[in-house]
Amino acid sequence: MTRVISSSLLRAAVLPVGLLVLWQLVVMFGTPSRRAPMPTHVVEAAWALIGSGDLPLALIQSFGRVLAGFAWAAALALVLGALMGTYRAVDRSLDPLVESFRSIAPIALLPLAILWFGTGTPAAAFIVGYAAFFPMIVNTIHGVKSVDPQLIRAARTLGVDRLTILRTVVLPGALPYIFVGARLALGVAWTSIIAAELAVGAKAGGGGTGGIGQMMFVFYAYSVDLNGIIVCMISVGVVALVIDRGLRRLEQWMLPWKR
Amino acid sequence: METLNDAAPKLRLRGVRKEFVLPRTGERTVALEEIDLDVKRGEFLCIVGPSGCGKTTILNMIAGLTAPTGGSLEIDGKPIDGPGAERGVVFQDYALFPWKTVWENIEFGPRYRKGSALAKSQRDERVRHFIDLVALNGAENKYPYELSGGMRQRCAFARALANDPDVLLMDEPFAALDAQTRVILQEELLRIWGETGARDERRTVVFITHGIDEAVFLANRIVVMGSHPGRIREIKTVDLPRPRKPEMRASAAFQELVEHIWQLIRDEAYAATVKA
Repeated sequence: MTRVISSSLLRAAVLPVGLLVLWQLVVMFGTPSRRAPMPTHVVEAAWALIGSGDLPLALIQSFGRVLAGFAWAAALALVLGALMGTYRAVDRSLDPLVESFRSIAPIALLPLAILWFGTGTPAAAFIVGYAAFFPMIVNTIHGVKSVDPQLIRAARTLGVDRLTILRTVVLPGALPYIFVGARLALGVAWTSIIAAELAVGAKAGGGGTGGIGQMMFVFYAYSVDLNGIIVCMISVGVVALVIDRGLRRLEQWMLPWKR
Repeated sequence: METLNDAAPKLRLRGVRKEFVLPRTGERTVALEEIDLDVKRGEFLCIVGPSGCGKTTILNMIAGLTAPTGGSLEIDGKPIDGPGAERGVVFQDYALFPWKTVWENIEFGPRYRKGSALAKSQRDERVRHFIDLVALNGAENKYPYELSGGMRQRCAFARALANDPDVLLMDEPFAALDAQTRVILQEELLRIWGETGARDERRTVVFITHGIDEAVFLANRIVVMGSHPGRIREIKTVDLPRPRKPEMRASAAFQELVEHIWQLIRDEAYAATVKA
């Protein structure tokens, strides 16, 4: 069994490792540019950035903004989504609004965000929350609507009032969909925080707003450190993966009744 | 034969009608017409009939989940205008909460019911009692998906009972089970209903089934329905002594009654089958 796993792992690793080696060789012998990034330099840069604490700090700053934006968006989306999923009249009046705003990219709100909130955390949290809101509300509505009506009838025949049914039947029933929404929402939130910080960094001229996106901007605009930019890109991917796997774990723990 | 108190019926249906409007054509169809029925206190009443005769509609109206188009439904002389904890329902598909364990499902009514004032310790005692009664010991912490059909059925039954209803409404509760499990649960149902105990401690049961032998085995009286439109064809009293024993199924009286009811609904059952 272990041999099967290790041999399949080996096969899966052949192509990426081969490409890395090729990349290294091409840069070492094939280009005159001293600035071109190559794997060994990227590892060195990563080591330095982690050692100095700059990279962890930037990631924590960005992640904090993602959480702040996600928190307000999720709270609003849960309340509105539950209402829209329950009451047809609310659904009819809000749905066109939600659907038309949904097609406006989060980054398109950047000028407004900067004008209203400046270049700090509130602007970033606003954009991130805007991005997170839509997957969250769409899935909440779907989840609430797909709760088995028979379960609601069962609760009613047990003499339970409507508000308690919302809390004890509708929300738990919608929870699997809400989790899907949360996973998608945190994904787009993390994507848009980088874009937001890049742009905010550009406007502020590299001021002290922090975050991973801004760190990339500094590498791009000031020190022209392509290895550093690649370190940032890789860390962004790694954090996204950690967020997704963490939420899957949380989901398994919170929904033990889902096979 | 047992005598039941005729004086004050537990449930009274008078001229109950139900019409449905087809959403596409706007055409009105009469699902039930002019149902008059008294269900006596402590009675085990079965309703049989061909598919589409409106059995389930009657049950849903008694449960307060569906409003009649005309006529009146009363419980203890008071009109029924919505669901209430005094009328417990056991659904055909069990309708257990998938995210709750056996224990939590049974606890649901006593815990979340409007105006329930049970302390946690009383609630635990009650849940324990009903878990013992339906023999689900050892499955307390299992989720519905981990249970067999028979166990789900017992859990749904215990959930309804734990809410302490006066009237138990059961909609083809054994339909989805295999034959052996069904027979065992029929006997268990009579035991839990209190067949061997004092008569005035029994709950009133309205039990819907398409199994004629099931109805004869369980019921004090059987309402035989016809369809198109749904109506009562005949109400048969079952004269078999209680407690009912499995060997009674083979008796001449039992078989005669089954045959009689089968004759009543046969033509319509055939018609319904051919149409479907």
